[in-house]
Amino acid sequence: MTEARRSSPDERAAAFDSYVVPHLEVMYRVALSLTREPPDAEDLVQDAVLRAYRAIDRFDGRYPRAWLLTIVRNTHYNRMRRRTPFLFRDGESAEAALGSLGDHEPSAESVVVDPQLEAVVAEALNALPEKFRAPVDLVDIHGLTYQETADALGIPIGTVMSRLHRARRRIRTQLDTVGFVPGKEMA
Amino acid sequence: MVLTRRTRLRCHQVARSLQAYLDGEVVPRRADQIAAHLEECRQCGLDAETYRIIKATIATSSAPDTDAREAVVRLRGFVERLASADND
Repeated sequence: MTEARRSSPDERAAAFDSYVVPHLEVMYRVALSLTREPPDAEDLVQDAVLRAYRAIDRFDGRYPRAWLLTIVRNTHYNRMRRRTPFLFRDGESAEAALGSLGDHEPSAESVVVDPQLEAVVAEALNALPEKFRAPVDLVDIHGLTYQETADALGIPIGTVMSRLHRARRRIRTQLDTVGFVPGKEMA
Repeated sequence: MVLTRRTRLRCHQVARSLQAYLDGEVVPRRADQIAAHLEECRQCGLDAETYRIIKATIATSSAPDTDAREAVVRLRGFVERLASADND
């Protein structure tokens, strides 16, 4: 769908409602996977939202999710490169323009299903190099498709598949070493 | 689906597509073929079950969704403030 140029604030707000607001959750999940820290993830999404807002007039309306995940990824890499702490680098006043943000809540305790199995899997997952862990995070925890994961990480879909495969095989190897067999109690 | 010799998969073919199958990323016909193989082949069936458990354990042991929901609510507020600042 290609639309005429939007220029008024109302039109921008309407476009944002259509293209961005429905995807805030997946943007946050991707950001969480990239930053690993909820407060950093929220900051990253805010930064990405600002960039999307500035670019919304140029967005043609096709594949908003892929467009937004690409913005999140690029924003993350820019932030990493610049190491500047936060938003509004162009001299905007966040407080004046946008109001203050809520406090960040600490993470609640995880829901424990099988503590022993969970511990082995968590250890194996954490031991994975970042490039293998990120696709697992996005697919298994955040429920992204392979294509969305590829968009979010900026890698081809075949690379997503091979990294997922290798990551899970490593986790499985860890389970093998502790004698895990499906359907049997772990020793 | 009736599987003939031509449509039956071998273990190495299933192993190649197993992760995509578990992630719901294969076309329905291929999924049927893989499912049929997993029913018949004990070793591949055990492999699939192990990976299913790994996936489920990773998914359920991650941070509860309430954190994400609260973050998304705050982000919606951020968007609203952004739009209203643009209108001023």
